[in-house]
Amino acid sequence: MKKTEQNVILQSISEGVFTVDLDWRINSFNRAAEEITGIPRQDAIGKYCRDVLRADICESGCTLAETMRTGKPIMNKAVQIIDANGKRKALAISTALFKDSRGKVIGGVETFRDTSAMEQLRKEIAGRYSCEDIISQSHTMQTLFAILPNIAESNTTTLIEGESGTGKELFARAIHTLSFRKDKPFVAVNCGALPDTLLESELFGYKAGAFTDAKKDKPGRFALAEGGTIFLDEIGDISVSVQVKLLRVLQDKTYERVGGISPVKADVRIITATNKKLDQLVKEGKFRDDLYYRINVMKLELPPLRDRKEDIPILVEHFIARFNRLHNKNICCVTGEVTTALLSYDYPGNIRELENIIEHCFVLCEGEIIEIKHLPSSMRPVLEDKLAQDSEPATIKQVELALIKQALKRNKGNKTAAARQLGINKSTLFRKMKALDIDKSES
Amino acid sequence: MKIAIPVYGESVSNVFDFARTLLLVDIENGKETNRSEMVLEGRFLSQRAVQLKKLGADVLVCGAISQELATMVLSSGIVVIPYVTGTIADVLNAYLAGQMVSAEFRMPDYKSGAPRGPGRRRRCCRWQGGRR
Repeated sequence: MKKTEQNVILQSISEGVFTVDLDWRINSFNRAAEEITGIPRQDAIGKYCRDVLRADICESGCTLAETMRTGKPIMNKAVQIIDANGKRKALAISTALFKDSRGKVIGGVETFRDTSAMEQLRKEIAGRYSCEDIISQSHTMQTLFAILPNIAESNTTTLIEGESGTGKELFARAIHTLSFRKDKPFVAVNCGALPDTLLESELFGYKAGAFTDAKKDKPGRFALAEGGTIFLDEIGDISVSVQVKLLRVLQDKTYERVGGISPVKADVRIITATNKKLDQLVKEGKFRDDLYYRINVMKLELPPLRDRKEDIPILVEHFIARFNRLHNKNICCVTGEVTTALLSYDYPGNIRELENIIEHCFVLCEGEIIEIKHLPSSMRPVLEDKLAQDSEPATIKQVELALIKQALKRNKGNKTAAARQLGINKSTLFRKMKALDIDKSES
Repeated sequence: MKIAIPVYGESVSNVFDFARTLLLVDIENGKETNRSEMVLEGRFLSQRAVQLKKLGADVLVCGAISQELATMVLSSGIVVIPYVTGTIADVLNAYLAGQMVSAEFRMPDYKSGAPRGPGRRRRCCRWQGGRR
């Protein structure tokens, strides 16, 4: 086969391919490699492969180096890279020796394919999330991220408080994934969804004959989570009788199955969550104070989305990428109007509501850009009210003025935070403030 | 001023997210006064950003960096000089001489106008607050 023909084949295959010489410098780089790494061929040629591929194995166990050392090819090794846009990608790479026509080794060949979509799907199915999967750049969330590994290592009972849709279960899963229990089960129970009598047998299991139709023993969720983590969501909704039994698990690390007579030992980490204020429920006598103090060893308070609007742009981007994969579409972005609308809304349903809004837009959007007409109708009256509040008729200038003033007010005059929330650069904010004659003292 | 450089052997580590060792260099009046090496904590991004802040780093000179980590480091008030490649000695000398933009210290596809930190946002699929 001629060299030009080989080149045509190399350029047309969907797997990324590059070859290196004996000094680890890249001497061929195909089109798919350009797409996966985001680095143009002319920039990659002549450079060290570690500076181009930017993989997690480059410094801890380079497969190409192993192949060069042993002469044996390596197939489908899972690695992570950072592409030219700073995005993490999961790849499956294979390596082999590169020989000339006389069989002399002149370098190495590396082929790779992007498995990010598959990896994400696997993660969603298996529910294995870490704090890298919780998307936020807000200061409050960064503080939580910083203490999350310590909480995970500590093995203490943790209470997660936050409104519905703020990601309580995601945090619980992240704590589990970061802990030494990560290879054991994570069992989530929504206590609010089960009636009291059912909840007890569901949590602790039952013995055969404990009640009508209990024909054989059934393990409870605590037994299923043995060695791992149990996540009790809506803990504020459980009855006093279940509270007593839960207290015993926390105090003695034992429980009794319904109809059982001997206690069962439990080696389970308990993470609880609620969207209610438990201290208030304690004051009202609806929640046992001794249980409250037991579960409240470590408390994480998740902020609602309206208090971290600077995260809306990256969340929108994340959901667009996710729904593109799920719906097999190619939507790239949202219009400026939609941006304004999304930043003006208060999200009573938090991130789950934002996710639903973007999914709604995906169903209606047939092009590549989400427009205002694609937003749910239930959202529009609120937005129209918001925009019409200060100004009528609303010109672009007036809307900009209102949005900037609101953002400055929300961030107590902090221009960096306001700019981030508005999705513009700080310098753009200053320019607009000057153009719109917004007094700095006013902010 | 403290400069933090994730390193691998004698070179700048190719990706800060995956690096295992951090070099911390104290600079006073344009001269190096002290240096120390330490293990980079954990493999979780937030830990790395917090560690840099705890160490009192003013500048992070590193190879590639993910957008998420760059955002965290930048929000800690640390200046990020990303996409740097080369030996520690050469990079430090270049930094002290104010020659970091020199092409020999730049990873492939680096453009000098690129923002310092969360990668280049040049594709239309990046959500930048609206249609572009």
